[in-house]
This record gives sequence, structure tokens and C-alpha cells, in this order.
Amino acid sequence: MVKGMGARPHRLGVEPLFQSSVDEVSRLVGLKKEELIILEDADRAASELLVSEFEKYVERKYNPEIMGVLKRNNLLGVPIMEEYGGRGARQLVEALFLERMGQTGMGVITFSDVHQCLGSLAVQDWGNEEQKARYLPAAAKGDTIFAYGLTEPEAGSDPASLKTSYVKDGGGYRLNGSKYLISNGSIATRMIIFARPQEGPGTPTAFILDTKDKGFSVDMRLEEKIGLFTSDTSMVSLDDAFVQSEDMLGQEGKGLAVAYSALLNGRIGIGSGCVGVMEDCLNQVKERATTRVQHGKEIARHQLIQRHVAYIESSLEACRWLIYRAALKKDEYEKDLKNLALRSESDRLSAVAKYTASRCAFGSADRAVQCFGGFGYSILSPVAKHFLDARVARIYEGTDEIMELKIASSVLGREFEAYR
Amino acid sequence: MNIHLDGSNAIHSPREKVYSLLTDPNFISKSLPDSEDVRVIDGSSLEARMKLRIAVVSTTMRMKLRVERTAPPSKATLVAEGAGSGSTLKITSVFDLSGDSQTTMAWSADAEVGGVMAGIGSSLLKGFAAKKVAEIFSGITKAVEASS
Repeated sequence: MVKGMGARPHRLGVEPLFQSSVDEVSRLVGLKKEELIILEDADRAASELLVSEFEKYVERKYNPEIMGVLKRNNLLGVPIMEEYGGRGARQLVEALFLERMGQTGMGVITFSDVHQCLGSLAVQDWGNEEQKARYLPAAAKGDTIFAYGLTEPEAGSDPASLKTSYVKDGGGYRLNGSKYLISNGSIATRMIIFARPQEGPGTPTAFILDTKDKGFSVDMRLEEKIGLFTSDTSMVSLDDAFVQSEDMLGQEGKGLAVAYSALLNGRIGIGSGCVGVMEDCLNQVKERATTRVQHGKEIARHQLIQRHVAYIESSLEACRWLIYRAALKKDEYEKDLKNLALRSESDRLSAVAKYTASRCAFGSADRAVQCFGGFGYSILSPVAKHFLDARVARIYEGTDEIMELKIASSVLGREFEAYR
Repeated sequence: MNIHLDGSNAIHSPREKVYSLLTDPNFISKSLPDSEDVRVIDGSSLEARMKLRIAVVSTTMRMKLRVERTAPPSKATLVAEGAGSGSTLKITSVFDLSGDSQTTMAWSADAEVGGVMAGIGSSLLKGFAAKKVAEIFSGITKAVEASS
């Protein structure tokens, strides 16, 4: 363990639940010194973001400080390999990092997950050497920020039905279409775009688009969300946007494989953030319930409040280990990429973890609001933010329903896949 | 709900001068940020309406401040107590000055927060308080140095 780590302050004066999980993981599977330093940096960044995240949330505004704080703490390239300027974290450490950031809220998680898990890792997993050398060091430094352009106005849970098209044009491709609900959409410098051939029945292909291209435009920043105010969400248009041939990501026609593998990374990230949300809900409820007096005693002494505490604690503990298990399986798969059984198991576990953690995070935030009583319904309560933000985790990067179908077919067999 | 903060500031001014100003209600009355209706009551106390802002929400509290010259020219205590908008606040700040021609001011502040404001939670309140305290001490440091 890094010297002094056990004694460092956590989340500015609340119980160090996160530290107990780091200690336990370290005891069971071992964490190297460099990995513990990443988590120390995450802890510092989360503390630095606390006030600005709350202020921007109350103002219902995107928080531009997220990027700067993560950059200052060298946390923009956590899973990027060290040879490309990143910190080379395995999935388990990435999960612990995002768990810590999740305590500040899903806004930070959304930015980090999209830039790192959906963007950087897609390039790391599918890019050629030239693409990796060009994009990953810049992404680790924050000179490149990624967005992930899969969802369209008429293609959400069924990405194979996307309409954005590409056509060969000289030394590259022209892209046309709309991408909707794109996290980091108006702040990204590069966007992974999925498009199908303009002519013929071909399947989608992935491209790395430079958002400075004159054919790219941000139609609108979507600020009418019910939560997640501190995260940038946009609708973007591609009007003959040009991509060089060398910026095709993976093979032509294999875009959905790129998309699905990125989502496998992303789901563990979102689930990890949800664990952080539950930790903060538990911290906040514990403080509130032990200081708020009603009927002559702290509300923590009322049994019905204790039921909520028990729900949040049980959810947190169950989900934490689901996430760690999914992350460990992903790490196992990363060492044996040709093992399709491992990939399938990793996919199943990430779906189970994301499905369960996102539902439990929303349930925990709901219980936390209840424990806060009338003030819980105020946007100034620390738990209302989680209640509004965590809801999205049951929708993006695979809805509850898609996760259920995926989990069920993993048990029943592919011949029972409901969306085939 | 209780919050504790501490820190230290370097002031380019002799310790006795710093102590004299820090314990002077007239000086304090001019150094309080976001205050109005400031009134010095006597040689050790004053009152003011102070605006407290958390994100876009601001509230005003009627505060009474009392200076205790614990051990001149080293230690002093400033107690600020008030209420408003469904919240109560009591801050006990202890200053410990050292040095001669240059002064190091070590300080600690313990706040007791009650009512609506306490619902925001200690972690956030501490974050906001840290920002505010930094602003206050920066203001005091500049004012002391300007008066020296």
C-alpha cells in the first residue's frame, strides 16, 4: 500500500467507504503501487470536483471543470497503454477509478466513460499502429477528446438500423446523417462515427471523424434533460463530412463489432459509476439520519429509516462485487483475445453488472431522497442530484430491456435471442 | 452538523500590527465580504447582515461577531453567530500568530450548522466553506498589508 494512503481524507470528511473497497480488493487480488497511485489521483480529483459539480448541477449547466481537473490529475488516459502515454490500467483499476468518480455524480462518469471506454479503448482495441500512435497519446493528455456517435434519432437500441451513410470520395469518405443524444458531442475533437454504405446493403463501418471538419456541426446542445446537467449531450449533423481513408477504424463492414466491444468496456464503466453513486447515497444518508432529530430522536433510530439504509448498503455491496467480477473477467479476456468463450462470458457479466448496478443506483438514490424527507426533494440536497442523474444509467449504453434480453439469451442460448 | 477547517497564511506585516488589526472590530467591519448594515457595537463586538451563497442560491443571515483577545499578541478567537432563512450558523475561529516582522497566521475554524443549510451535507458545505474562507483570508491579508 502506498505510504499514508490509509490515513488520507476521503470525500472531505465523510466515511471512507471507497478506501475500504480499495483495501479489500488489494487484499484479495493485489493492487500494484502504480495502481494505488491512480486511485489516489482519482480521490484528489473527485474532491476537487465536488463544489463545481454541485454548482453547475444547480445551474443546470455543463461543467467545463471536469476536463481540466481530470487532465491536471493525469486521469484522462487511465486505461490507455503506457506505450501510448496512458497509465495502462487494467479493467479492475479502471472500475475502481470510475467508482471513485461516481461519488461526485454521473456527469463526471459520463464524460470519462465516453472519452476513455467508448472512444480511446475503441481505438486501442481496433485501431492500427498508426491510428494508435496518432490518437492515444493526445487522448491521454486531453488534446483529443472523444465522443461516440452511434445513436441516431431513429436508431437507439437497434444500431443495425442506423441511417448515417458514407460514400467513397477520392482519398477518403463523405459521411451524411444525424447523431442524437451524443455525450461529449459538442466538446469532442474526435468522434467515432458509425455509418453504412450509401449504396447497397452493406453493414456499418466505424470512422474517426475530426469534429473541425466543415461538414460536421452541432445542431443543438440538449439541455432539456431531466438530469445529467453537468454532462454535455448534443445532436450533431454530418453534411458531407470528410474522413481520410486512414481514419477508418477496423475493417470496412465491421463497425458493429467495434461498437459492441466498446459498449462492453463502457458498461463496466457505467456500472462502476453507479457503485460510486450508491456509496455517496449511503454516506449522505448516514450523515443525515444520525443528525436529523424527529420525534425526540435521530431518525436513524427509526426502523423504517434503517430499512432504507439496509437496502442501500446491500445494493452497494452486491453491485460492487458484480462489477469487480465483470472487470476481472474482462482482464482475463484481454490476455486471451481469441478465446470466444471468455469474450461471451465477459459480455454476460458486464451486462449483469451494468443492469443490476444501474437499477440499484436509482433505487438507492430514491431511498436516499426518502430519508432526506422534504429537503430530499430540493435540488440543493446532495441526493436529489443522484436521483435525477442515475436514471439515465438504466437507458444509455444498453437499456434495462436490452440487458435483460442479453442476459436471458446468455442463459438460454443464442437461438433464443429475442431480437433476432 | 459540525465542520472543521484549518490552514495558515503568510502576512507581510509585523505580528503586533496584525494582532491589533485582527482584533479591532472597526477593521473587521471593513474586511467582511458580502456584508451590509455593518455596525460596531463596542470594542470587542459588531453585527452585520451577511450574504451566504451556495451555487445560485443565496441567503442572508444576521450575524453577531465577538472578538476574544486570548493571549496578545499571539492568540485570539472570533466567534460569529447568527440565523436566517431557516438556518443557524455558529463559527468559532481561532488565530495563532507567530513571527516578528513577517507574520504567519495559523487558523482553525469550527462551524456548527443547523436547519435547512445543514441538509446540504458536510462534504459539500466544507467544500463551499473552504472556498469562502480562502476568499475571507485573502481579503484580510490584503487589508492588513495595506494598513501597515
